[in-house]
Amino acid sequence: MIASDLLDVRVLDAGGTPVGWVVDLRFVLDGPPDGRLAGARLHGLVVSPRTRSSFLGYERSRVRHPWPIAPLVRRRHRGTFLAHWEDVARVPDRDDGTDPEREPVVVLQVGYTRYTAGL
Amino acid sequence: MSVRRAEKARSAVPEPPQPGRVLDARLHLLDRQVLDVDGVPVCTLDDLELDDVAAEPATRAAGGGTAVGDGPVVIRALLSGPVLGTRMFGGRPPGSRWHRLPWRDVTDIGTAVRLGVPGARLDVTWLERWARNHVVGRIPGGRARPGKG
Amino acid sequence: MSRRLLVVALGVLTAIGGFVDAGDLVTNAVVGSRFGLSLVWVVAVGVVGICVFAHMSGKVAAVSGRATFEIIRERLGPTAAGLNLLASLAVTVLTLVAEVGGIALALQLASSVDHRLWVPVAALALWLVLWRVKFSVMENAAGLLGLALVGFAVAVFLLGPDWAELGAQVAQRSAATETGATYWYFAVALFGAAMTPYEVFFFSSGGVEEGWGTKDLATSRLNVLVGFPLGGLLSVAIAASAAVVLLPAGIAVDSMAQLTLPVAQAGGTLLVAVVIVGLVAATSGAAIETTLSTGYTLAQYLGWSWGKFRRPAEAPRFHLAMIVALVVAVGVLMTNVDPIAVTEYSVVFSAVALPLTYVPILVVANDPEYMGEHVNGRVMNFLGTVYLVILVVAAVAAIPLMIVTEAGG
Repeated sequence: MIASDLLDVRVLDAGGTPVGWVVDLRFVLDGPPDGRLAGARLHGLVVSPRTRSSFLGYERSRVRHPWPIAPLVRRRHRGTFLAHWEDVARVPDRDDGTDPEREPVVVLQVGYTRYTAGL
Repeated sequence: MSVRRAEKARSAVPEPPQPGRVLDARLHLLDRQVLDVDGVPVCTLDDLELDDVAAEPATRAAGGGTAVGDGPVVIRALLSGPVLGTRMFGGRPPGSRWHRLPWRDVTDIGTAVRLGVPGARLDVTWLERWARNHVVGRIPGGRARPGKG
Repeated sequence: MSRRLLVVALGVLTAIGGFVDAGDLVTNAVVGSRFGLSLVWVVAVGVVGICVFAHMSGKVAAVSGRATFEIIRERLGPTAAGLNLLASLAVTVLTLVAEVGGIALALQLASSVDHRLWVPVAALALWLVLWRVKFSVMENAAGLLGLALVGFAVAVFLLGPDWAELGAQVAQRSAATETGATYWYFAVALFGAAMTPYEVFFFSSGGVEEGWGTKDLATSRLNVLVGFPLGGLLSVAIAASAAVVLLPAGIAVDSMAQLTLPVAQAGGTLLVAVVIVGLVAATSGAAIETTLSTGYTLAQYLGWSWGKFRRPAEAPRFHLAMIVALVVAVGVLMTNVDPIAVTEYSVVFSAVALPLTYVPILVVANDPEYMGEHVNGRVMNFLGTVYLVILVVAAVAAIPLMIVTEAGG
């Protein structure tokens, strides 16, 4: 699996209802040490309900300037949430993207939790 | 606005603090400059290779796609090269064409990603070496410091 | 030693490449001969704008060590940054074509050998400079000699114009013989020239070449505050000399040779010689700036090793990209196109490149992960936002204006 297999992919809940798109992958450096840094564990998927057009995570940072770019981008990403990796049931298969009949999707577990996505 | 706030408050649980540094792929990793141990640019980080720690074979899910296993998934390697084209236009290059920089070689992630190894012998810089050995290095003065000699 | 003395050379060279490259030299004289000084306000607006964004790009380079196109790639992702790369390369290479053509024309004037024979010679000379000469020597020589263009300002004073009349022209918003559309076409062209994107690519990369760190923020600011106003002043001086001599005589400028007419009338052969040195230096400086910018943008987008501070063998693809740019420029000139007319079409590409360049700079200049305590203050953010709005309006207006007026007619 590579990061772009997951990025920009549509997200469905267990019932098949669309809940948004994967706009980013969140990692936590708490794995077993691997070289100089700790292993980077895939912690969850950042899901935006409105738009695929992430401004590359700018909206999740602490940056609030410059006006009006920052507020506009934040507004566009209202409702963005973090779904933990344990709450993900299914990810796209490696050749899903090549088959025009089958849109690659991420499916969440029944009763998944929405966590706040801010950093 | 207040209704939306209420809606958001209802639906999103505060994320608990994490035991390690938190990095978002697009925000902190993808498209950053990769530097080698001497600060020489190596490549741009075009994609990430992810893998189950336990490396258990992925099972095909009933409704299509791949079922997610129980074990954690980690970044195996930073990728560069032909994966750039597929990030822009879709599709997926064959695994053999990826240039891998193993995660264990990464020493720091800031405004650039730093590696603890020299870039000269890495796979990803083969084109750089080719340009040096076959073109630029052969032109007189190509190996001299500008303004000297 | 020379670095201490000529600490503002980078800013001066950057501004010369932006304000008085071969295409702009002619544009300024055209504007002066047709509109008098009624477009001086645009140059003033442009100077402030490029100061704001060059300051931010220099600050980001000094604090984080990241040059502008690395930031564009990082903030916009591969697709939008790739679009910007194509548009910026188009602007940069079109300008380079004009510069190489301009140098060849100047050599033709001096030697009466056909300029097409001079084109490969000029390109080869440029390449040798980029291949062998140190960055600081390059910027000092081109920047300093380019200042000989001050001869245009001297000419204006020697001509002893009616200052009240010139002052009245500054306050005008049109010229009696021109349509509103052509006035605004030239306004947009002058503004675009002032804010042309390769200036920030070159300035920020030049900061990295000179090894700027946080301690050099004052140097960066000084370069901006000296360089760009000087570039604007030179551009106004050229327009003013044309406004004093050519406008009353009803002479419309259409070539580089006519630039020196007012200077010859004011100061004779000696001043013409000084100004020609300035023209050749400015054109060569702009050629150096655009060729390097081609290498900088490509290398920074794709993550290659780059920089004049490295041996060519340590940045082979960067040097190869510059060689290809020069070969392309020679090839275009061999088709016998008018090199100056070519730059008019760069307006179209600027419309794409300008917002995609300046938005990421403004965003990163506010990001504490890059800037620490040196994030933008309120005034810089206010100015940056105002200029983004102006840029978008100018970019949107440029293409219809160009079509309606047939590129200024």
